[in-house]
Amino acid sequence: MDTHVHDRRRFLALTAGAAATPLLAACGAGFGGGNKKSDGSAADDVTGSFDWRREKGTTVKALLNKHPYTDALIADLKSFTARTGIKVEYDVFPEDNYFDKLTVDLSSGRASYDVFMLGAYMVWQYGPPGWLEDLGPWMRNSSATEADWDQADFFPNLLQADQWSLKDGTPLGQGGQYALPWGWETNVVAYNTDVFKKLGLKPAETFDELREIAGVIKRKAPGAGYDGMYGIAVRGSRSWATIHPGFMTMYARNGLHDFTVQGGKLKPAMNTPEAIAFTQDWAGMVKQGGPPSWTSYTWYQCSSDLGAKKAGMLFDADTAAYFQAVAGASPASGKIAFHPGPKGPGGSLATNMWIWSLGMNAKSRKKSASWLFVQWATGKEHLRKAAITNNHIDPVRKSISQDGAYKDKMKHLPGFIETFETVVDQTKIQFTPQAQFFDATTSWAASLQEIYGGQNAKSVLNGLASDLASKMG
Amino acid sequence: MTGMTGLTVRKRLLGWLADLALILYFVFALFPIAWMVILSLKPANQLFSTYFSFTPTLGSYRTVLGDSEGIPFVRFFVNSLVVSVGAVVLSLVVGLPAAYASARWRFKGSENLMFTLLSFRFAPELTVIIPLFVLYQKLGLFDTYVGMIWVLQLVTLPLIVWIMRSYFADLTPELEQAALLDGYTRKQAFFKVALPLVKPGIAAVSLLAFIFAWNNFVFPLILTSNEAQTVTVGALSFLGGDRPKYNLTAAAALVSVVPPLLLALTIQRYLVRGLSFGAVKS
Amino acid sequence: MGWRLTLRPYVLIVPALLLTCGILYPFGLGLYYTLFDFSASKPQPDMVRLHNYETVFTQDAFWNSAWVTVLYAVGAAAVETVLGVAVALLLHRSSIVGRVLEKILILPLMIAPVIAAIMWKLMLQPSVGVINHLLKPFGLGGVQWTDTPTGALLSSIAVDVWVYTPFVAILALAGLRSLPASPFEAAAVDGAGWWYTFRRLTLPMLWPYVLVAVIFRFMDSLKVFDIIYALTEGGPGDSTVVLQIRAYLEAIRFQRYSFGISYTIVLWAVVYLAAMVLVRHLGRIQRKAAEAK
Repeated sequence: MDTHVHDRRRFLALTAGAAATPLLAACGAGFGGGNKKSDGSAADDVTGSFDWRREKGTTVKALLNKHPYTDALIADLKSFTARTGIKVEYDVFPEDNYFDKLTVDLSSGRASYDVFMLGAYMVWQYGPPGWLEDLGPWMRNSSATEADWDQADFFPNLLQADQWSLKDGTPLGQGGQYALPWGWETNVVAYNTDVFKKLGLKPAETFDELREIAGVIKRKAPGAGYDGMYGIAVRGSRSWATIHPGFMTMYARNGLHDFTVQGGKLKPAMNTPEAIAFTQDWAGMVKQGGPPSWTSYTWYQCSSDLGAKKAGMLFDADTAAYFQAVAGASPASGKIAFHPGPKGPGGSLATNMWIWSLGMNAKSRKKSASWLFVQWATGKEHLRKAAITNNHIDPVRKSISQDGAYKDKMKHLPGFIETFETVVDQTKIQFTPQAQFFDATTSWAASLQEIYGGQNAKSVLNGLASDLASKMG
Repeated sequence: MTGMTGLTVRKRLLGWLADLALILYFVFALFPIAWMVILSLKPANQLFSTYFSFTPTLGSYRTVLGDSEGIPFVRFFVNSLVVSVGAVVLSLVVGLPAAYASARWRFKGSENLMFTLLSFRFAPELTVIIPLFVLYQKLGLFDTYVGMIWVLQLVTLPLIVWIMRSYFADLTPELEQAALLDGYTRKQAFFKVALPLVKPGIAAVSLLAFIFAWNNFVFPLILTSNEAQTVTVGALSFLGGDRPKYNLTAAAALVSVVPPLLLALTIQRYLVRGLSFGAVKS
Repeated sequence: MGWRLTLRPYVLIVPALLLTCGILYPFGLGLYYTLFDFSASKPQPDMVRLHNYETVFTQDAFWNSAWVTVLYAVGAAAVETVLGVAVALLLHRSSIVGRVLEKILILPLMIAPVIAAIMWKLMLQPSVGVINHLLKPFGLGGVQWTDTPTGALLSSIAVDVWVYTPFVAILALAGLRSLPASPFEAAAVDGAGWWYTFRRLTLPMLWPYVLVAVIFRFMDSLKVFDIIYALTEGGPGDSTVVLQIRAYLEAIRFQRYSFGISYTIVLWAVVYLAAMVLVRHLGRIQRKAAEAK
């Protein structure tokens, strides 16, 4: 054997690896635990009449993302504990690191958190390895779920968005309910009414108009007293998050798809001639009317530019504009109006969305108590309170969106309610559900940046498609 | 004679130029910090719309220190102090003997042992983070001070061993030999002769190690939750939510500069002189 | 003499080794994981031996990342060395200005790099950032710092330089202050010029001290993550996707754990080799410097 000293380290490391096998075996399959699904759900163990106090004395651990919805939840936790006798311990992490934390926790196969926040896209990643509890059996069990919880009150698109068969390419709304909608965001256009009035503009009804208006604002607004203002803020950083708000909404309104499913296989469709033309137009819009340094733009930059009167429009989550629009929040407060945004060629207002959902750890040892918590947090009482006294806007329940007090609260924002009501039925997840979502959309964002940087759209998107096809193969 | 004055003029001019160059660098180095101070004093609704003229407020500091926003910043602050001080002290306790031994005696494998110590800095945190997470959960070290202090050895120990080794190497062995002749034991010679002579170095390298431990981000992010979380993770928490609150993050970051800054000022006279190996010679 | 004496150094080093050996176990485990195909879509992994590494080395993405990483690390370490040594030389003159500024030299090091990068991103944002605002009178208000591949790389390096130049400067200044006075006095008597003294005396004698700093900086910038992730997220395109960003995306974001970790192992090996070469070099010049004294 070569006794060179540096080989000794390698040898040491290898021995450590061999010694690691028991640990590997000890934590289930090592990586996030098994995919074994027992036929029965723990929900079946809950029998008798429904009782909020069934699990009193238990403590549930929740992992939460820093968000106004979370603030509203935390503010109301006392009422949950008073009703159920269940204590909730929680950790709050910033959005930029929240999913790292959650992913590491889930993939290690530990059950350090019973309940957590996640988006619908995360179901595609966390569901297949068996990390998420199917909440369906819990919802259907009248011993576990209060009749008043009222599943039919959720907007059906939202409920379906968290329901999936765990098979790539199959549509949402079938299979297990791997999370429950709790708060959400629809992607629409918010605009600065002052600028629009001064330049004599009207919100765009078509994508062509939108591009034109964006360019007009960038050319004319700075001369009309809006120093440094450009037309439209949209995200542009190298991240999946760049694709899903404005871009995916407009893409879907043009009748375009991310993938097509052929014989159970996913085929990338970002490089169809229509998709290439649209992508080129989008990049062109950003070039002519978008923010400088666009490739670094996340929702932080987009929303703060709208608030600072640097962006004439924002095509992003309605909440991103809402929190700049409320009184005293920013210089643009009181001057921000909402509009559904341009229609597609066929009049489509198909809209993509983000849903903050609540999910349960499949490894949790306190499922019954956790379900009581999720049930309460997605129930009418808490959500109504959160919507009216806190900032839990964009209600997931129909009853709250129609609630007089909620409408009163939102009516000072021009167009907010009308926009919400116009798009709500056409808002759904516009992506094809599949486990490689984050990889595909991150590469897609990188391609978008390259096209914006002047590369040929067709060759970039063809490259993207063949790259993704080989990964999915 | 005129040549002389010409020379002094040139010298003075060069001196000014040198000072000017220094000032230029410090403008670059200090401007972002000054800007953070300005940000931290801005009201939230003027964050992005103003540059230098705004209505200053201490509200951000009140929010950060008042534990509002649901982030127990003060507790994180105490946590940071405990784990950073703990990590540096532990590194000194085990690192100084190691540094001393490798500087004093050339023994078989000494270079390789030292290199092994250094090599722990090479492993990207990502390689070890998930196995560590599982291990910590099993051993009950997750979200504890002990766990954090241990993992921060990756940051502090190599720095301390490697820099202190140069100090000991520069220390002439004659002093200790004299002490040994005076009837000191080896241990006494180390504690009473060698150690006091490198005290400035210890102070300085401890400061650097403290700063790196204090600023570490990935380990506390993944290996702690509520109990042992530190300020760096806490400061970023203010960026989430409804609007990016850079004013709060800036305030939190500036508050968390205070302990290392105080430490630096206390040992200022050692800092540069201290790291100077020559100061302990002769 | 005897066995106690032979063993003594080992006894003194053992605690330090034991403490870090705890880390060897998770490291070994990470290494072991790379021989499998763990991922979220394959929770029951199979042993694939070196297949992950084969994939790594045959991907264009890897070579692109490796190239960007080297550019970044060489760029950052070089600028920090030159700037750090220059600042140290200027401070060493001990002018009044220098004595004041020296006290705050360490400040940028105290801001956590991840926060520093976020603040820099805000300052560099052309729409509301202060830097473009200040440059406007010079006609540079419209500079889009991170919008081109070169711009993004240079901006990231600039932030790295901002954070870490003080580290090099402090160690270099310490070195300067420790240089023996006699050779310089002799050179002055001989009427040697500044440049000659610098090249023939200062630099060679100072180099061992600087090299320790350079080794630490070079190793750390090969592993850069925080600064680039906060500033550009790897964009535009793939232009700043350094190895750690790629590893993070693969292992955590895309949940191809084993594959992503293979990236970090490759990176570890690269840093290990680079450090070995540099440390050997350091040992050589330390000995040379010692002989010179």
